[in-house]
Amino acid sequence: MTHSPRPAGREGAVETTASQANARAHIVLNAALAMLFVGLFAQSASLPSSMWEPLGAGSFPQLVLGALIVINLAIIVQEAKRYPRLAAPPHGLVRDWLWRHRLAMGVLGLFALFSLAVPVLGFPLSALAFLLLVQILLGARRPRSLIIALVIAGVFSFGLDWLFRDVFVISLPRGPLG
Amino acid sequence: MMETLLSGVEQLFTLGTMVSMLLGVIAGVIAAAIPGFTITMAIVLTLPLTFTMAPLQGVATMLAVYMGGYSGGLISAALLGIPGTPSAVATTFDAFPMARSGQPGRALALGIWSSFFGALVSAVILIIAAPPLAMVAVKLGAWEYFSLIIFAMTVVASLVGKSMLKGLMTGLLGLFIATVGADPMMGVARFTFGSDLLADGFPFLVVLIGMFAVSQLLQEVEDAEQIKQGKRLINADVSFNPLTAMRETLAYPVNLLRSSLVGVFIGAVPGAGGSIANLLAYDQARRASPTPERFGTGTPEGVIASESGNSATSGGGLIPMIALGIPGSAVDAVLMASLMVHGIGVGPRLILDHGDLVYGMFTAMLVAAAMVLVVCLFSMRFFLRVTDIPRSIIVPVVLVCCVIGAFALNNRVTDIYLLLGVGVIGYVLSKLEYPLAPLVLGVILGPIAETNLRRALMTDEDWTLFFTRPISLILLVLAVVSVALAIRHRLRQRHAPAT
Repeated sequence: MTHSPRPAGREGAVETTASQANARAHIVLNAALAMLFVGLFAQSASLPSSMWEPLGAGSFPQLVLGALIVINLAIIVQEAKRYPRLAAPPHGLVRDWLWRHRLAMGVLGLFALFSLAVPVLGFPLSALAFLLLVQILLGARRPRSLIIALVIAGVFSFGLDWLFRDVFVISLPRGPLG
Repeated sequence: MMETLLSGVEQLFTLGTMVSMLLGVIAGVIAAAIPGFTITMAIVLTLPLTFTMAPLQGVATMLAVYMGGYSGGLISAALLGIPGTPSAVATTFDAFPMARSGQPGRALALGIWSSFFGALVSAVILIIAAPPLAMVAVKLGAWEYFSLIIFAMTVVASLVGKSMLKGLMTGLLGLFIATVGADPMMGVARFTFGSDLLADGFPFLVVLIGMFAVSQLLQEVEDAEQIKQGKRLINADVSFNPLTAMRETLAYPVNLLRSSLVGVFIGAVPGAGGSIANLLAYDQARRASPTPERFGTGTPEGVIASESGNSATSGGGLIPMIALGIPGSAVDAVLMASLMVHGIGVGPRLILDHGDLVYGMFTAMLVAAAMVLVVCLFSMRFFLRVTDIPRSIIVPVVLVCCVIGAFALNNRVTDIYLLLGVGVIGYVLSKLEYPLAPLVLGVILGPIAETNLRRALMTDEDWTLFFTRPISLILLVLAVVSVALAIRHRLRQRHAPAT
């Protein structure tokens, strides 16, 4: 169940024509996962057993990983069977996809930088920069919207830091602010 | 009994207790509405504040936070598609599509009323049947627990979406993710590759926030045109009518009662809790519905089932605690601690030695449920204003809240990195149309399943005990029936003529 219902529009049409590419993506992902799970299955076999119980530390993971390998292979077979019946992807599909998802990719990139910056710069400074940059990326370019973005960034970085530190007594990483 | 009950009621209805309960309800609702901020965290933060209070006032205040929290999780689940607490996962399935289709007020109001009725049913059952239900709940051994989890896993069949294989894969992936970190019986490190990042495994809450919040928020900013135009999350009139919502909720009495009973029973089973009850109640409602295909598209039945189911666990959780001194969940353990701070021993003699306190707690549950209803209905207009905020603001703000939630859980920076990783995986999976709910269910149920399977076999190596112990057998038969019905339903759907 996906919980993001979207109206069928231009994007929906692209997805339909791109279904061969979709099947290819599935085959690649599930093949990679199947190999990963085989490796993990082998690793779980080396986990110690216990003299107190019939099942050791690796038994339950082996059970789960074994089932995962079978299901991944089943998905690969299913997609491979479907593949010849599907429409060929249009030229430049990946480039188009990335362009359509540029904002999501931008936000994801900034979120990754924010996550990595928290222990270095501390929560307030890194959150301030993240909030400001994401709002600018998503359209806060005029002076009025920039001022609003700055206020929001201040409230939800330094304000939240104060709230958690002084009210909830949960200290968020402080970075150079000590 | 009547004298003790009246004494408890008298102690409860003081100005100080009512005010602290009201503040507790408000705090619980707000805390649970923030993704990553759990009810347990809110209760733990409340505990020190109750030290100076009288025992009943302290417990009543914490119960108010608890009850408020169950309803608060609904707000972000309905408006943002992000479960505010683990017990609101199934709430996103129908409340969110309903809000997105232009009825956010209806989604919230239905959820609030369902929560209220669920809590009411659980309080009544708590008062009437606490001791006998507790006796049944504690008779469950490791075999029954494992079989219960197998039954709960069959819920996956309702959450798989279009492809059964993809649903099974994410469910199993969730079970695997739950095995990373220290082995629950021997403490052996598994799949950590010597990294500190994975040493403590994947905290459930981090997986929940990463899977639902991060991937959902990234999907919110995919459409550059809508962002440019400053489009809001929900472009619709946010008006609502509380009385219409109440009538609509009561129009499904069987669903309401069944879901509440599921919640009470799951709540009474130590270690289960709102997250399982929420999904199981939803699953049962879907199976019993004459129109199961409408589930997941914004049907009121789904909202009613999930919200009444999770709220009813509040009363259920108190059953083993009050009758036997066994905390059913982390929240119940903190409630127990608050009583012990005041020198009150919690155990089978609690109701005999401190009957007035116990009946005061029962009454406090009813009062808290009513307060939650009033607070939520009055503050709904304020919460609905969230939908007016442009995505360019709400997305980064909620992402920052997610980071705080992930960090504050264990005060570990590595949990922020895990959040990022899980968020990316969740986004990729959702783009390839893998359902995320089974994965979260796998992470919740995995450790309980493994621990009880191994505990059962450690006690007795005989596998047949899973089939010869009556309660275990009943649960396994229910699991088989549940899967068979799900397969039959899918086959019928496949062979049904396209209209």
